[in-house]
Formats: sequence, structure tokens, C-alpha cells
Amino acid sequence: MKFVNAPWLRPALAIATVCLLAAPVASRADADLDKALANPNNWAMQAGDMQNHRYSPLKQINKGNVGKMQVAWMFSTGVLRGHEGSPLVIGDTMYLVSPFPNKVFALDLDTQKIKWRYEPKQDAAVIPQMCCDTVNRGLAYAGNKIFLQQADSTLVALDANSGKVIWSVKNGDPKLGAVNTNAPHVFKDKVITGISGGEWGVRGYITAYDVNTGKQVWRAYSTGPDAEMLFDPDKTMTWTDGEMKPVGKDSSLKSWQGDQWKIGGGTTWGWYSYDKDLNLLYYGSGNPSTWNPIQRKGDNKWSMTIFARDLDTGMAKWAFQMTPWDQWDYDGVNEMILADINVNGKPTKALVHFDRNGFGYTLDRTTGALLVAQKYDPAVNWATKVDMKTGRPEVVKQYAPGENGADVNNKGICPAALGSKDEQPASFDPQTKRFYVPTNHVCMDYEPFQIEYTAGQPYVGATLSMFPAPGGNSMGNFIAWDAGTGKIVQSKAEKFSVWSGALTTAGGIACYGTLEGYLKCVDSNDINKELFKFKTPSGIIGNVFTYEHKGKQYIGVFSGIGGWAGIGMAAGLEKPEEGLGAVGGYHELADYTNLGGSLTVFALPQT
Amino acid sequence: MRTMISGAAACALWLVVPAAAVAQGMAPPGAAAQPSATEAAQTSGNKVTRMEGGKVLYTVVDGYNVDSNTMNGFRAWRAAACDRCHGANQQGLVGPSLIESLKTLTKDQFITTVREGRLEKGMPSWKSSKMVTQNIDNLYAYLKGRSNGDITRAHVQELKQ
Repeated sequence: MKFVNAPWLRPALAIATVCLLAAPVASRADADLDKALANPNNWAMQAGDMQNHRYSPLKQINKGNVGKMQVAWMFSTGVLRGHEGSPLVIGDTMYLVSPFPNKVFALDLDTQKIKWRYEPKQDAAVIPQMCCDTVNRGLAYAGNKIFLQQADSTLVALDANSGKVIWSVKNGDPKLGAVNTNAPHVFKDKVITGISGGEWGVRGYITAYDVNTGKQVWRAYSTGPDAEMLFDPDKTMTWTDGEMKPVGKDSSLKSWQGDQWKIGGGTTWGWYSYDKDLNLLYYGSGNPSTWNPIQRKGDNKWSMTIFARDLDTGMAKWAFQMTPWDQWDYDGVNEMILADINVNGKPTKALVHFDRNGFGYTLDRTTGALLVAQKYDPAVNWATKVDMKTGRPEVVKQYAPGENGADVNNKGICPAALGSKDEQPASFDPQTKRFYVPTNHVCMDYEPFQIEYTAGQPYVGATLSMFPAPGGNSMGNFIAWDAGTGKIVQSKAEKFSVWSGALTTAGGIACYGTLEGYLKCVDSNDINKELFKFKTPSGIIGNVFTYEHKGKQYIGVFSGIGGWAGIGMAAGLEKPEEGLGAVGGYHELADYTNLGGSLTVFALPQT
Repeated sequence: MRTMISGAAACALWLVVPAAAVAQGMAPPGAAAQPSATEAAQTSGNKVTRMEGGKVLYTVVDGYNVDSNTMNGFRAWRAAACDRCHGANQQGLVGPSLIESLKTLTKDQFITTVREGRLEKGMPSWKSSKMVTQNIDNLYAYLKGRSNGDITRAHVQELKQ
């Protein structure tokens, strides 16, 4: 294996830059973050920006030379479980966090030396309270602070220079299953964070904390009374009969039976985005609890919903529910990508969202109006289409577990609960105007059963088995999508689910990782043209990122199999009637990869 | 598929020898890799009745019709969502294969593990779950049946008397 020599690394310069970063302490956090984001050499937020584009203007590495990339350096996190998210790069320092126990490292990019490390003390009892592996999707940065969202729900601000704790606040009660896996996001002077625990009956909420003090500014629940959801019955709008209308009084309470909303889920563990001009925060809510739909008939508002909220007050400007009365666990938490594109030929400030339910939605992000909703995986069969007037999916009874009763096994539903895409974020390339989407191509059998709620215990109520979609051996695709028309432009089949966040760059490339552990880069104009492929130490469920240091561009990614991808694979590939022995894809995946968390950083060889 | 043999057909009775090749990795620290001492199976056609400690552990017909206690064990398994870690077929995912573990765990060790958990490995303590604690013997019977290979499908149904 060839490694890139690095004689250009000069420690002295690193110190100089660190001092520069440390100096303007008094400046407002948002100005500092804006400055960091404006410099394309940094990767200052999880998506590289506030719009969730995952696009970099860097082009030293491009379609002509990406094939020559080599490993520049590697770093082991020392943790075995699933590694989602990515590091941040600000100036001469890289910041990264591991899965539980959430070790934080600051690395000097000149020397790859550990500048500081921080490991929180967390009760091991939180591990079994995490539904789908002990993942952590990364850190946030602003105002010379690093923000860590611990598994046990504690949100911490660390001094970016020293790793010392500046403030810390408890965001939920892990004893009740309210834990965290999401990355915190900083918009303006607020740290936004969500909550997990939809499988524990946690009532979901999103919270804004003051970036400087950690004081709670507002909290908005996904379900319940209007006041607790920060809904104005007259001013919060939703798509109704082909136009935006006020949601009206008690829009959530009316859609549940009794008090089920109190343990009704709608958690908020995805990626968040922000439109500065509109001052609106965008995110989605997850599945209603339990997974047995028969126990919660009704639309279960506002689970499975895209929210647009005023960043300063938290008040909801609009809401759009994608999957009323969920019967499949199609969480609506996937990222909202804010892109200015032509929709049906008209320039539009759009919000583009690839939902777990298999539909790619394009909405007007100012008003919340529904513009496009089309399947982004042809395997999707639980609904024929989305009715553009009501915004509701037209559900196929055969694939609707709630219609068919408890203890009935509903076979061959596509997609599986994993969704046609899960948290693995897509990328928007403003050059091609296309969206590059890592997807799953997996179906399921779903059998709901009666379950009683016990505080702090799993509250699932369905047995699932998952398997590859019919007609082929592929369990995932990497697709290029036109959100203006709702069409798949190109689709590149992968053996397993593509569970890695995509990156596009001005160099005309799109990069993503695979569960076998390959980092791949393809031509943005023809994604079937594979330009680069490298086998990292473990399966990739992390997100590809890029930065420039001392005139050299780097592309990096975490490897470390786990998360629901690993679990889902495993759960999926044994057919119950085949008895005891695990067969098929899971064992196949085990033939390719093993546990273990590392970061691999690539660059072009020295000329 | 075999057909039911009714009445008192030819019965066989034998002792099951503890498997020699057990997966040592599945045993808890310090645990003797020795299953419960007395295990006996009585088969009548496609019906298997297995004894442990002088009592009936479970009865299973056709590999998936089980007695009501064992059925309650399956219900507890399902309600506690054990499959999220141990797999829908107990084959092991993030958590170990219970098909293998139950070959080495004694009943006491099983009960201690379920009650106290192994938090650092992600196994919760089920002390506070009524569904689990009240059905712990039944859960043991169900998983033992799976591990022994007498229950051939994870998804069982109640035996009609």
C-alpha cells in the first residue's frame, strides 16, 4: 500500500492558526461559524453548510485525477461499534467523536498529533437503551466551542482549544429511553438538538439552547397540545386540499386515541437545516409509538412530519405529514436539503427530502406547499402514489399491517422499516443540479402484536424480518435524482445498502462508502463511471467529507460497521422458515468486513 | 411433513448427552460450560416433551405448536423486543446467539443474566419488567427449545388441546 509523504506539514503554522481562532472570543458565535463556513478549506458543519448540501467547491481532486488518490493518514478511534457522521475541520484542527463512550479528539493537522481529548463519564446503563447501536453522528462548532451531544442526552460545550467543559445541560431522561444519537447543529446563536427513543415510547421534541450559556431557549414537542408543540392554530399552516391552510385547534390531540400521544414517539434524531433569509429551521419527526398501528388508530400527528420553525421562537410556520398513521416505521427524520432549483420549469426555493417511506418530496420551503412526490426506488409497493391534492399516500391494503389486524404477518412490504433511505444523508451538487442519494433496496415481513407500555422498557410491538427486494441481488443503489421532476436520472447498483453520506465537489465527483468498506468516487455526470475505489478497514456507514490544508485537498471517511445497517443486514437475511442457521447476505457481509472504527484520509500523491 | 400419531404410540425415552463442542465464547466469565444435569426428551411421533429437574420443560408438536407456558415465553421474548439484539431467530446480532448461549448457560445463570443484565455489553436489566420476570421460566423453556432444536421456528403458536 502506498502512503503519501507529507513533508509540507509545518507544525509552526498550526500554532499560528490556532491563536487566530482563539483571539476573537468576544465575537458572536454565529459570525465565527459563518466565517468558518465561508472558507471552503474547512468542513465546519456535518454537512459542510447549513443547507445540508454536502457539497464542496474544492476541486484539486477532480474527475481527471481522483483515480490516483492515495491514503495520506489514518486514525483509530479505539471503539468497535458503528461509526456514523464525520469529523469537522476548522483551521489546522480536526475534531471527531467516537460512538459510545463518545470520546472526543482534537487532532493537529500538521502532525496528526492528538492536541486534546475528552471522554465523558456515562452510565453503562445507557447502552441497552439505544435502539440501533451506540452511534454518534458527530460534533458541532461555533464561537470557538465544540458541541458534543452525548448518548446519555447530556449536551456539552467544550473549549475548542483545550477540550475543557464550558457548560453542560441534560436534554432528556435516558432511564425512560430518551437518549441521543444525533449531531447537534448550531444556527445563529442557538444549538439545536433532538431526541431518540421512538422504540421506548418517548414523546419527541426538539430544543434550542443558547450557544454561550447552554440555557434552554425553547422546546417544541412533536405531539400534544398546541402550546407544547409551539403551534399557532391560525398561523401554523399545512397542505390541505391543494393549498396551505391553518392547522386549526388541537390538530395533534384530535388525531390520537386518548392519551397515546404522551407515549407516542415522533422523535427527532435526524439532521437539521436552516435558511438564513427566511430564519426557518427545518427537520423531521420519527415514527409514532408503538410499532403496532392497531393500538393507535388515527393520523398520529405530528409524527412523520416535516416542520419549518422560526429559529428564534420555535413557532411552527408550517408542517407537512408524509405518512399519516404509520404502519411500517417509516420515520420522517431524514435530512431536509434546501436548494434553489427549477421545479417543473419554475425557479423555486425548494426543500428536498428523501423519506424512509420511499418517496422523494419537493416542497416550497417558504410556504410548505407540496410540489413533487415520487418514488425514488421502483421497489416501493406499500403505496401506489402520493395524492398531490391531499398530500397523502395511497396505501395498498395488502401491505398495510394496521388494516390486516394484530398477529397477522404482512409479507413482502417494500421498503423495509429501514426505509428506501435512512439517516445516511444525500448530497446536492449545484453544478449538475442533481441530488446524489445513498439508498436501501430491502423489503420486509411485518407482524404487529399487542404490547403494553412500561416506562424505560422497549415499546416496539412488531416482529420484522427483512430481505433483499425481489428481482436481483442488489440491496442498495446510489442514485442521481432530479428533484424538479421527481425522476431517477441514473442508478448504480450496490451489493449491500448504501449507508454512507454522499459528498459532491466542484471537481465533478460524487463519493460514498459501502458496507463492504469501499470508499468510491464516481463521475457526477455519469455515476456509473467509477473513478476510484479503495477498501478501508471496516464497513462504511460514515459520511464522506473534504477539506484543504496547506494547499492540499483531502477526502476522508470513517469506517466501522454497525448501526442499523449492520443490524438490519443481519435481521434481514435469515428467512424464518429456514430455521436456525443464518444464511445469505449477513454471512456474506461478514465475509467482507469486521468491526472497528478508523478514519481514513486520502489525497493526491505528491508530484 | 410428518403426520400426527394419535394415542399411545411407540415412545422413546433417552437422555440427551451434553454437547461436547460448545461455544466457549458464549459462556459468562467463570461459568461452568455445563448445561442442566437432567434433560430428557419424550417423543411421540411429531410431539416432543422435554424434562428438566424432574418437571416438564416444554411440549412441542411439529416444531412450532407449543404448550401454553412456552407460548407465554415467546410472548415475553417478543414484548421485550429481544430480537433487536439477539436476532429474530435467536441467531445473534449485536447480542450473542441464544441458540449457542443456551447450550452452555445453566438455568440459574440465565435467570441472573436476564434479571441483572450485562450493561456494558448492552444487555439491559429486566428486573423492572413484569412481563419478563413473571415469565422467566417460560422464556427459559422457549429459548431452551430453540437451542435444543426441538422448536424449529422462532415464531411459535399455541398447541390446541
